[in-house]
Amino acid sequence: MAEREEPGGDRRRYPERPPGGGRPAPRPRPDAALSPRRAPGEAPTPRRRPPEGSPPRRPTAGPPPRRRPAPPPGSTEETVVFEPVGGGTATEERPPPRELGKGGAAIRTVGELLITAGLVVLLFMVYEVYVTDLFSAGKQSEASSELDGDWSKDRQLHPDLVDGKAFARIHIPVFGADFNFTIQEGTTEAALEVGPGHYKGTALPGEPGNFAIAGHRVGKGAPFNDLDNLASCDQIIIETQTDFYIYKVLPYKDEVEGWAAGKGADPKCKNVGTLRDPNAVDGGAYGETNGRRIVFPTKGETVNPVPYKDPEILPKAEQVSLLTLTTCHPKFSAKERLIIHAVLAQQVPKNQVGSYAELLPKISEAR
Amino acid sequence: MYGWIWRKLPGPFAVKLATAVVLALGIVALLMFVVFPWLEPRLWFNEVSVQ
Repeated sequence: MAEREEPGGDRRRYPERPPGGGRPAPRPRPDAALSPRRAPGEAPTPRRRPPEGSPPRRPTAGPPPRRRPAPPPGSTEETVVFEPVGGGTATEERPPPRELGKGGAAIRTVGELLITAGLVVLLFMVYEVYVTDLFSAGKQSEASSELDGDWSKDRQLHPDLVDGKAFARIHIPVFGADFNFTIQEGTTEAALEVGPGHYKGTALPGEPGNFAIAGHRVGKGAPFNDLDNLASCDQIIIETQTDFYIYKVLPYKDEVEGWAAGKGADPKCKNVGTLRDPNAVDGGAYGETNGRRIVFPTKGETVNPVPYKDPEILPKAEQVSLLTLTTCHPKFSAKERLIIHAVLAQQVPKNQVGSYAELLPKISEAR
Repeated sequence: MYGWIWRKLPGPFAVKLATAVVLALGIVALLMFVVFPWLEPRLWFNEVSVQ
């Protein structure tokens, strides 16, 4: 049996001594563990013999100091000699920075590129959230003055819809008296950069059916940034060349029940109903049309004349005049869409009230 | 990379610094006015319409 023992078998017998003749790892010696309890105040028994003349050290010695790998033979690197710890005169001379080899330089370049990429992404976020606002503000004010110019010319009952061109204006008083954006025809990216865009083919302001608008929620002027703050019965005013159309946000889903006796009795909710058919189990054609909804982006039925229903469900004469606003949801994401449905509550011709500034105090009283 | 660029820049420290700042601003402007407007419609997270 003894002959079969491997040379390394010795280690099992002397585990304290690491191979290679290095400094033995500090371990509690059996005799130290068995030594009688020392009197209080007595200096702790050092596990390692301290160098001569050094002050008593902490009872537990730390791990042995890391040894620098010996410099390869022929290397000009200066060897740093560590004096005994606590002995006092260890020199802290650092070697001069070594030149990076090819691999080191490559790693450094990769790191620099990664940092640069991170900065570019950050910069893109700044662009997306702030800089596009600046660009869009310029386009919006241009479109706005152009629209005013168009309107000051000849009056016409139906606006001519040219792709990307403004034909109406949206005001939301609860977002501030100065909240207004022009509404462009079409929902292309170019149109939406200017301001909210009208879904082509949906109804026009005031018409029966669904006047549907999309708008950005983050960046690009963020016209629909705060749509989630709208409450039922809040006014959304669409200004055309000839009229102000005052839409009011429909009751939210949890308000539909008992609307007439509840919030619906509030004077500001005048002309706002639930649009539900009391005789139908599912609420009839407008059973799914609540003031606010969160839908998936593929739900194109949102902008149907009767939202979420087949276009043929009601003849046009029986359709309610709705306004639908769509924007992205949640903020900074395109996972879903936030939808606001409002119903036409009042129409004010411009020959009665000349401007929005004149209209605002009147409708504010009506609230 | 940055160290290499810095070494390639001519002139004394002040001139180097000024050149570096101008270079950085130029790159930011290139990103803001050319690259990002081109890139942005190709990304998906700012879609607001239903279809």
